[in-house]
Amino acid sequence: MRAWKITGIILVAYSLYAGLMSDVPRLAILNETIRNLYFHVPMWFTMIALLGNSLAQSIRFLRSGHDGSSINLELDAKAKNFAEVALVFSLLGLFTGMIWAKATWGTYWTADPKLNGTAVTLLIYLAYFVLRSSIEDMEKRARLAAVYNIFAFVLMIVFIGVLPRLTESLHPGNGGNPAFANYDLDSGMRIVFYPAVIGWIIIGWWISQLRNRLDILNKQK
Amino acid sequence: MIRLKAIKTIFLWDWELEFRRSSGWFVSILFSAIVTFMTSTLIRQPSANTWLALLWMILVFTSLQLASRTFSANEGQWLYINQLVNPMELLLGKSLSTSFSTVLVSIFSFSLFYLWIGFPNIPGQEILLAPLIISLSLGSLALSFTLTFTSAIASKIDGSASLMSVLSIPLLLPALLVSLRSSKLALLGEPLHVLYPNWIGEIALCGLPLALGAVLFPYLWRS
Repeated sequence: MRAWKITGIILVAYSLYAGLMSDVPRLAILNETIRNLYFHVPMWFTMIALLGNSLAQSIRFLRSGHDGSSINLELDAKAKNFAEVALVFSLLGLFTGMIWAKATWGTYWTADPKLNGTAVTLLIYLAYFVLRSSIEDMEKRARLAAVYNIFAFVLMIVFIGVLPRLTESLHPGNGGNPAFANYDLDSGMRIVFYPAVIGWIIIGWWISQLRNRLDILNKQK
Repeated sequence: MIRLKAIKTIFLWDWELEFRRSSGWFVSILFSAIVTFMTSTLIRQPSANTWLALLWMILVFTSLQLASRTFSANEGQWLYINQLVNPMELLLGKSLSTSFSTVLVSIFSFSLFYLWIGFPNIPGQEILLAPLIISLSLGSLALSFTLTFTSAIASKIDGSASLMSVLSIPLLLPALLVSLRSSKLALLGEPLHVLYPNWIGEIALCGLPLALGAVLFPYLWRS
């Protein structure tokens, strides 16, 4: 087992323990739910990192057949696997967020820009999998899926990154709500938060790589 | 690399075909008329928010219907077109012709909507038509550029009508939200300096799918 995998396990284990046991600032309304920062937010960082790599693999795939060499279908399988694992992390982020929202906002779901962004991301990537499953020819499937992946990723980033800043939001980090910003993230929380983010990204990457290997083994059978 | 003449040829060729076949056009116009009429029988005097939501739902489905025909030509025609122009020119020409007809049909839908449902009742407020129509046109332009590209993807798969809507509707949301905001401000009679940033946002959301599409389309079209 490589060192980075062990690092990932240690970091996640540390963040699970310290996330529940360490001291956190007392804030009105948030109270103990502030600990969700250690569990909810890393899911989104991991999702974006995995989707980013899925995008990179799609770009590599489209370029692979370009200079006369044969196209590389393994890159397409990588793009698919990273997107799949990213989708699992987005569901985890969604559920941890919903539990938190019930405790602080009093409802599981509201029409908040951040929540809408999540819903759209889910829909886009579910559509990506529907597109994949509706094409029989492997080469054609890989090509169309890669094109859609790149097109959709950019529009998704516009949706979740730019548009919420144009409108009002209840979500922490927007308007006057406290969250991840240098003036209000307690430095004691950073000691747990950053390891959690790095640890979860490593774990997500690892799972995706295992799925890649499984794909290769299945093909050899 | 991109020849304006080729784009113009594709654009004019598309229009000529549209008018010769004319059934396509007629279906879109009839579609928007039927949906608008159905809406008008279901609702009376909606609030401003409901009014806008209904109007944009109609515009989205009308442009979806229109754009889904963009790449429906037979095999022989594609062989001929592919010899004349390169993929980028093909996408630009097709995008322009689809967006042009989408804007026309959208303005037509809006007129019917106005005729059958009227304006929402906003007390002490006089509604100006020109800013509203500009917001609507720019919005449907942004929708149609995204839709042209997804219709190109869907055209590569058989039996793609429902797949096309699944692929494109989530991608339409950025353009839709900006357009909704801009048309709401126009409806509420906000001054021009409030409207301009939103119009620029709509134009940016026209440019984004067009630029992305121009880069990706050659990969899509190669087969």
